[in-house]
Amino acid sequence: MKPRGGYNVNPIGGPSLDIEKLAPPKMLCIPLSSKHLTFSELSVADGDTVTCGQTLAVDPESFSVPLIASCGGVVSLTKLDGHIVIENLSCPSDPAPTPEVPLHAPYDAGHAAENRQKLLELGAWRFVSNARTHKVADPEGKPSAVIVSIVHLEPFVAHGGAICKDKVDELVRGMEHLQSLLEYQTIHLVMPDVKNALAQKIQETIRGHAWLKLSEVPLQMRYPFDNQTLLARHLGLFDKGGETVWYIPAAGVLAFDNALSYGQPTTTSRISLAGPVVKEPKHLEVKIGHPIADILDGRLNRDQDVRVINGGILTGVQIPAEQTGVGVECSGITVLETPTVREMFGWLRPGADRRSFSKCFLSALKGTFKENLSTSLRGEGRPCVSCGHCVEVCPAGIMPNLIHKYLFSDELELAQKLRTDLCVECGLCSYVCLSKIDLYDQMARAKVQIAEELGQPEDQQVTEEPETEVLV
Amino acid sequence: MKFLANLLDKARPKFEDGGAFRPMKPLFDAIDAFMFNPLSQAKLAPHARDPLDVKRYMSMVIIALLPATFAAFYFYGWRMLPVIMVSYMAGGAVEVLFAVIRKEEINEGFLVTGLLFPLILPPGLPLWMVAVGVIFGVLVGKEIFGGTGRNLFNPALVGRCFLLLSYGGPMGGAWIEPGGGLFGRLFEYKSVAVDAVSQATPLAQAAAETPVITPLGDLFFGNVLGCAGETSALALILGGVLLLLFRVASWRTIGSTLIAFGLMTALLVGGDINTVLFHYLAGGLLLGTFFMATDPVSGPSTNGGKFVYGALIGVATALIRLKTPLVEGMMFAILTGNMFAPIIDEVFIALHVRRLQNEK
Repeated sequence: MKPRGGYNVNPIGGPSLDIEKLAPPKMLCIPLSSKHLTFSELSVADGDTVTCGQTLAVDPESFSVPLIASCGGVVSLTKLDGHIVIENLSCPSDPAPTPEVPLHAPYDAGHAAENRQKLLELGAWRFVSNARTHKVADPEGKPSAVIVSIVHLEPFVAHGGAICKDKVDELVRGMEHLQSLLEYQTIHLVMPDVKNALAQKIQETIRGHAWLKLSEVPLQMRYPFDNQTLLARHLGLFDKGGETVWYIPAAGVLAFDNALSYGQPTTTSRISLAGPVVKEPKHLEVKIGHPIADILDGRLNRDQDVRVINGGILTGVQIPAEQTGVGVECSGITVLETPTVREMFGWLRPGADRRSFSKCFLSALKGTFKENLSTSLRGEGRPCVSCGHCVEVCPAGIMPNLIHKYLFSDELELAQKLRTDLCVECGLCSYVCLSKIDLYDQMARAKVQIAEELGQPEDQQVTEEPETEVLV
Repeated sequence: MKFLANLLDKARPKFEDGGAFRPMKPLFDAIDAFMFNPLSQAKLAPHARDPLDVKRYMSMVIIALLPATFAAFYFYGWRMLPVIMVSYMAGGAVEVLFAVIRKEEINEGFLVTGLLFPLILPPGLPLWMVAVGVIFGVLVGKEIFGGTGRNLFNPALVGRCFLLLSYGGPMGGAWIEPGGGLFGRLFEYKSVAVDAVSQATPLAQAAAETPVITPLGDLFFGNVLGCAGETSALALILGGVLLLLFRVASWRTIGSTLIAFGLMTALLVGGDINTVLFHYLAGGLLLGTFFMATDPVSGPSTNGGKFVYGALIGVATALIRLKTPLVEGMMFAILTGNMFAPIIDEVFIALHVRRLQNEK
């Protein structure tokens, strides 16, 4: 299936590929829940002393994926609601030198089951997701194909190039480990432009591998074509219907290498710090749980009237920056200005500096340029005027405006018929909506509501079919 | 400008809950938001939004209507000014009234209706009739369906249809002889009683027993009898091109209307290219195609549906003009199209659902 719709938002303040390694903070605030994971089963008690790499809690809903202590210290469960706080940190000032390991991992399919278990215990398995549900994949499951992606197109989230910077050998070795976990399934590697320096280096490094067959499938670098579900659809991996496809981001492959080559858990994360009010938008290497207030301190142009977002502009979640740390799924911190000055006759201005999906501003005559974005709604909520912009941008090929109308009149069956379940929650429909309707939120809610109230026959097939095959 | 902002800030509490003018809050909000961008924030993800809003979207239609409006002033004098003002005031009053009753915000969609309505009326129509027409159009065509975004028919056309059926005489005879020269009638005020003429419009002349075909050049430039904004094909094409460039109007609707109309007319007149061209330029075809058929609310929302909808309007216009006693068919054709839009959508949505069925 060809990718449809999509739109690049292009704001000022994207992160540069520079990486700053932050010194360990005074304490860690590790959130117990993130977008797909909820670490509800605690393995430590208040006042316990933990060591770096120890399991703090597990997520029973996601195959007991562990939450790993990214530094040793004393645990406090009461200090911050919904977080595990570690104080009196005992991080070694200079980490022990990493042992020498061979450049290439031997093919080791015989220990696949043990290695999967090892990945699970060391916390690396959480990166492997089911491309259809975005939930953690079954460590004993058998995928029909695997997608490894180093492309992240949402504005302001950590760039694939930064995540893999100086780690190409590790990335390739991680993929070799991944190959050992599988049988004969294809690994699809999603890279930016093949002429890109990083992509070339990866190609050069992997060219010598006998198990590797390179074939190019062109993909436009337009948001949200990097979405795992869309990639799987684009590559035709869902064509037969019930397939399970695994998706692993570059950070996950690096965590694989860390776990299987060195036997270490991954306790740091490369995240982006970006936005128009950030002094120097770039990438940061931080410990999981690094307090966000600590990260932002001194790095912003202004302290007041800003919104701190966990993730990118389009799908991120607003966070109380004072009260949380970098979570396990955090890919970036976005800081946007919340405007306080009202512009006179703003809607009448020619708008050469306003980049719009529509052609209603003078900027339509200009080429691509970066725009200064804030959290302003830039208009007022109105009823839908059926302009059709949401249908044009929708990468899933559904009609958000129509689904909105059905949901408005409580016709859940009709919304289901229009395949609300195909929505990949990219946020573009809300972004372009001129009536400022929160379509993204409505779609996401409707998906849950439909699954709960009406059930999704297709999804039941998805979980049943591969398992019977494994048994046979 | 600070003074204005302060003034609005000072007045605001009076319109909030508990203030003396609470019922008029929609009006205050509209004026407030018209003057200064509201500070509303994106509460949920996406945390930033596209700069386009309904105000801007509707003002693009108004910009595209400016050439035709100017042409109306040029040909029929500045009597157009009170006509437009009456249309805005009477229709605006209904809009505000309903916003107050419904406790909702005033909708910008009316800004388009308010300007479009005078342009589809004979320029010599008495002002009270303009008021009655626009009130009926906004009330019955839009407000009783729930306001902008929920109306079934184009409000301006509902108003015009009402006037035509109720006051057939003036609607078919209150024409004003178009001006010419460098300034046209830009400096003249034509009063209804003295200056209105009841000759036949080009379409009526062509349909008469001894047909007279108006020169195509006159039709293109617009110095003929007709409704205020419909005569100048030049101004309308300019506006239509702007609408297409702004991507506010759907090229699908415009294209299919024009092509279907041309084919049907050619079929009915036996392929005479001059007659076909005459019908393209005469009457309200271009105004209706560019500014009324493309109304996204009263038309279908599916892309495929837009083609069918446009074709329906084009064919119906040609049939009404050439096969019925009526000389002009655009208004009834679009209202018919509006009527069919939901069912056309229904068909294309069913096709869309079938296509998505195999999507995994």
